[in-house]
Amino acid sequence: MVELTPSVFQIGPQYTEIKWSEQVSDSLLIKRLSLEKSLQNELGNEINDLRVAYQSIVVKWKNQFPEDQFQKLIKTTSAQTATLSDTVWKIPVCYGGQFGKDLLNLASEKKMSEEEIVQLHSQTNYRIFFYGFLPGFMYLSGLDPILSTPRKSIPDRSILSGSVAIGGDQTGVYPLESPGGWHIIGRSPIPFFTPSSIPPVWGKAGDLIQFTPISESEYERLKRNPKLPEQL
Amino acid sequence: MIKDIAYLNLIQTGPGTKIRDLGRTGLAQFGVPQSGPGDLEAFLWNNHLLKNSPGDAQMEIQQPGLKLQFEQACQICISGASSTIKLNGKNIACNGVIEIQEGDLLEIGKFLRGSLIYLGIRGGFQTQEILGSRTQLNGITDAASITKGAKIPFFTNLSDPIKTTYSHPKWDNSYLEKEEIRVYPGPEWYLLDPTAQKMLLSRDFHISNMKNTMAIQLEELVSNQISDILTAPVYPGTIQLTSGGKLLVLQQDAQVTGGYPRVLQIDEKDLRVIAQKAPGQKIRFQLVSED
Repeated sequence: MVELTPSVFQIGPQYTEIKWSEQVSDSLLIKRLSLEKSLQNELGNEINDLRVAYQSIVVKWKNQFPEDQFQKLIKTTSAQTATLSDTVWKIPVCYGGQFGKDLLNLASEKKMSEEEIVQLHSQTNYRIFFYGFLPGFMYLSGLDPILSTPRKSIPDRSILSGSVAIGGDQTGVYPLESPGGWHIIGRSPIPFFTPSSIPPVWGKAGDLIQFTPISESEYERLKRNPKLPEQL
Repeated sequence: MIKDIAYLNLIQTGPGTKIRDLGRTGLAQFGVPQSGPGDLEAFLWNNHLLKNSPGDAQMEIQQPGLKLQFEQACQICISGASSTIKLNGKNIACNGVIEIQEGDLLEIGKFLRGSLIYLGIRGGFQTQEILGSRTQLNGITDAASITKGAKIPFFTNLSDPIKTTYSHPKWDNSYLEKEEIRVYPGPEWYLLDPTAQKMLLSRDFHISNMKNTMAIQLEELVSNQISDILTAPVYPGTIQLTSGGKLLVLQQDAQVTGGYPRVLQIDEKDLRVIAQKAPGQKIRFQLVSED
């Protein structure tokens, strides 16, 4: 199999972006995770910071860009050194009503019932690609294209923490109260970011997420006794 | 070393006063911002003069009208923007270490040049440490900033006070006047049309009122034909171009990823230059030619 090497872009002397031009997929994630791993293993001492997103890694070097070692590493890293975990986290969500104020609108826009939306949203396994936007915000792949909905033209001033939302072709959970332009379909009672813990999140890139519908009374019960999600 | 905890009482403050240290490096993988000081050199200068560790926590002040009282003796340093500073009602100069006695009242008035002041203290402020840093940030620390009535802990009775001298240590603050900001092409620079590239590198840009520690929005618009990108990594100093043509200069508390094209990246040495600018002031971008 021919493996295309990623492109490398030098952002001034201090930053290097490594980018794949292919579509977002599990195989792309494996390539990214593999390269992250070898960068940390081989050049960890040279790296000040490393940030990732769907198709790229941007490294901030401590001092000078270690060009020779870096080029060698890019060429020799096999795309398959990382594997995706088979962890599936079960995330309880109370859909609709006061917890998902935009669900009804979304359903009527899509000419579907609220139940159908909930079923489509909760039957899929979503893959965690990376964290960004807010502390503890998971970028997930796997939203059913039927549920894809453009972001709101005027963002909401405040979206409560735990809100489960759809924006464009993505779905996610707001870990903290924040302004935001996504459509809110439900809310989860569990914590998504715990600043006092190291690590402050329970999931990692490569893990899977499954949303499980719960009742309002179950939401209230879990809210009173917050706990980390169960693993399937 | 003997260390007793004492407190500083915040009697009055404008918005945005925060405890800061060098921030949270290495936590971007959890979506946690860097949150270092906007003017790193000024911050390090205080800790250097106070013989502190480079990362000891200080107070970052963004607005005039700060008034605070020290419950116990200590040694402080003030750097960054220049301002009128009063100790017990009398104007003082703020180069070098300032001796504070029990009950002293410190006031920071009008900002003369610059917009970020650092107040360092011998031993560093001893506030809540979360994820390896005392920098205050919404969603991370209990309070996102220091407000009126807050009591900030510090060490008093340090057994090894530093000797203050009457010599004035050298600190060059000409960077507060600088308008050229050195930049490098960002990953999406080459997608811009030549007119937009030329405009970015030739005209003056003004700091808008939309300035905070997450981002500085510039006043002037740049025509933008690039569509939004798939969410990608960003850093402090990344300049994003929104679909509406606004330029956003990311600052220390910015999110770690973003979906707007990253057209330029500010040279790390000039991050403080733009961070110290106030709304209405102008800057120019200067492309660093790489050999």
